[in-house]
Amino acid sequence: MKVTVNGDQRDAPNQRRNLLSYLRFDLGLTGTKYGCGEGLCGACTVLVDGQPLKACMSTVGAVAGGSITTIEGVAQNGELHAVQQAFVDESAMQCGYCIPGFIMMAIGLLDREGRPSRDTVRQALAGNLCRCGTYQRIEKAVLRAAGESK
Amino acid sequence: MSEAGLSIVGDLTAGFPARPGGYGTRAYGNTKPSGPRARWLLVGADERVTVFAGKVEYGQNIRTGFAVEVADELRVPLASVDVVLGDTDEVPWDMGTFGSQSTARVGLQLRKAAATARELLLDLASRRLDLPREDLILGAGRVSSNADPNRAFSYGELVGDEEIERDIDDDVVLTEPAEFTVMGSDVRRIDSEARVTGEAIYSQDVLRPGMLFARVLRAPAFGATLVEADTSAAEHMPGVVTVVRDGEIIAVLAEDDESAERAIGVVQAEWQGGPKGSSIDIPQMLAETKRDPVAVQGIGDVEEAFRTSDHILEATYYGPHIATLPMEPRAAVAEWDGDRLTVWAGTQRPFGIRTELAGAFRTTETNVRVIATEIGGGFGTKSWFPPALEAAKLARNAGRPVRVAYTRQEDATEGNFRPAALIEIKSAFRSDGTVTSWQFEATHTGPMGYIAQREAGTPYAIENAKATVYCSDTLVRVGSYRSLGAALNNFARESHMDEIAAQLGIDPFELRMRNMKEPRYRHVLEEAAKQFGYEPGAAPTNRGIGIAIGEDVGSYVATCIELGIEGKDIRVRRVVTAIDCGLIVNPEGVRNQVEGSTMMGLGGALYEAIEIGDGVVLNTSLSRYQVPRITDTPDIEVVLAGDSNEPSTGAGEPGIVTVAPAIANAVFDATGQRIRELPLKRQLR
Repeated sequence: MKVTVNGDQRDAPNQRRNLLSYLRFDLGLTGTKYGCGEGLCGACTVLVDGQPLKACMSTVGAVAGGSITTIEGVAQNGELHAVQQAFVDESAMQCGYCIPGFIMMAIGLLDREGRPSRDTVRQALAGNLCRCGTYQRIEKAVLRAAGESK
Repeated sequence: MSEAGLSIVGDLTAGFPARPGGYGTRAYGNTKPSGPRARWLLVGADERVTVFAGKVEYGQNIRTGFAVEVADELRVPLASVDVVLGDTDEVPWDMGTFGSQSTARVGLQLRKAAATARELLLDLASRRLDLPREDLILGAGRVSSNADPNRAFSYGELVGDEEIERDIDDDVVLTEPAEFTVMGSDVRRIDSEARVTGEAIYSQDVLRPGMLFARVLRAPAFGATLVEADTSAAEHMPGVVTVVRDGEIIAVLAEDDESAERAIGVVQAEWQGGPKGSSIDIPQMLAETKRDPVAVQGIGDVEEAFRTSDHILEATYYGPHIATLPMEPRAAVAEWDGDRLTVWAGTQRPFGIRTELAGAFRTTETNVRVIATEIGGGFGTKSWFPPALEAAKLARNAGRPVRVAYTRQEDATEGNFRPAALIEIKSAFRSDGTVTSWQFEATHTGPMGYIAQREAGTPYAIENAKATVYCSDTLVRVGSYRSLGAALNNFARESHMDEIAAQLGIDPFELRMRNMKEPRYRHVLEEAAKQFGYEPGAAPTNRGIGIAIGEDVGSYVATCIELGIEGKDIRVRRVVTAIDCGLIVNPEGVRNQVEGSTMMGLGGALYEAIEIGDGVVLNTSLSRYQVPRITDTPDIEVVLAGDSNEPSTGAGEPGIVTVAPAIANAVFDATGQRIRELPLKRQLR
């Protein structure tokens, strides 16, 4: 079986392989994080055909045929995505461990809704945890990215 | 330690806390540094400046802070500074990254190192250009002639391929705050790109060639011991390479994480012992097992004052165990090369872990290298880091590198919790609000008295004041949490001050100002109140406004908050905190830390509590342990109220100590209900 990850066709011999483990340990894409293993913290969020998915709760077989984007596939030609740049500009991070998950969730949101309200941003990101407590900055960063995208 | 370029070396005392007694070297398993000197700074022929420090980065933003300090003292662009942290083979010894000591002590050491280098580079340029030092200026990594800017040498040209070594000049003149070009202005994290692209490598992300994935058999409860275990089924599970028994460790090693997880699940084990209490028993346990009193404060005669006073108030406050819960569960990878051991670990204490590893394998510390990776949150708890030794033992047995990565649940049960605390306060006061006597008795669970001591003494100018702290039994392993015991000690004291104000019908701000003489305290309270738009009123006013002040690690904070009660919910809407942490290196970093401290304090104030039943922690899962989410976030404003001529003090911890009492006081202001037990939402009627 093959799956598409960040635009590349990759071998996936075991359909029942946990998607997060496959990405992190079999492909070495460690930017997608393990936080709880129960789908309750959002640190493992990836995009499948543009839709956010908690990788820890999925298998390779469940996303076969889909196109997976991880945090490593977001920047294009060395240029940060508008959401990534906004997180840098707002210093929306401390330890940074949760940040890839937030960025993937935010990209998924902005693809659906280009100009979300503050409440919409909050509802969309309510399943992602940041224990450093940088939420106020994260919210600003997502609204900033929305404002700057065409 | 020499290599081409200018090396600035110095002693290691900067890596030792200002008040080591407050931490206890034995409790943390540390030994004092054996090497007397180490390299702190290298100016290379390639024009790069490299900073070496034994501190680690777990979100506090010290990597940027150190780079900023060195760039300013050395007059180089920030982009030309590299920072090496937490690798025991590369950096000066350090006791550990805790107690908000990084900027206060190591940052100052690095400024001196950079200033020493600057002076030497001036000397070198003076000789090469045959000009007196007064005719030279430094800037952008060059020394040039004042009269003719074309006559100049870059720092790289000045140091060349020589190996030059100089001692830090302790008396070197540091740059005055008015002359700062980078320090004191907002600087973005120098490591932010790695954090938004997934390139930053945390301990959970370390993968080595040939590495095995381990799962260790865990006791069901703290203190339980193994009677027997049958591992035969696990040995035959697919993907399993071996099952290791080494001392108290039983572990499955497999070629992948899921095989290890399945195999550990079929190990049959019988356990016995361990405390059998439940969380509802803890207040009684604290009262009954309190021991090892330490007198923290003793002024005047409290008993005499109680006998002669008109107004007496006695109240007891309680805070439960809460989870530190950093987003990254602990992980370590160990790799042996002959007798030489390398461990990658997301720990706040790489040198202490090195000491433990060297002791466990009866080898010298020079044979052990601990590399602190990026760390996904710590908040104190990652000083305790058992997976490093587990991985090292298993790797030795297997003859291959081994990864021990905790699950969310293991990180709770094998980690540690903030101690619960029972705090009894008795006060006497006059009708005008002057507090005349103060007795503070705090018992924090567990054996670590230094946790209970933090900010147990009253900072108010009270003629008779006595504070005593105690240790006690515990049902779970306890350890460091942001601000140690200060958050609960402050909750009790600042709640009690509000109770006095309410009893007398005095405005809470006014009561504090009447009893507080320390100007830095008064200043932060005034600044917070001003920014907040505080209007006086004797609580309860039904407005839902609360204030609190506090001090931790030498910094002063004051917080004003506003909240609303919505049914049984408490919604904190706005928080203003003023902080005085002396000289600020990066205002952006201080604001971020205070915002984060506010959110962490909010969880502990409103809903966080560890539930224990029959000795077992019941709510290790995020489905049963509520932490603040983005939907709980109030508007947070941070006022930087310090004087840049005062030495830098900590910014990572103080912002948490005022949050719980300010919220409790605001709940009283909104409802008239005084809640003396955290978490508040549980007690709200």
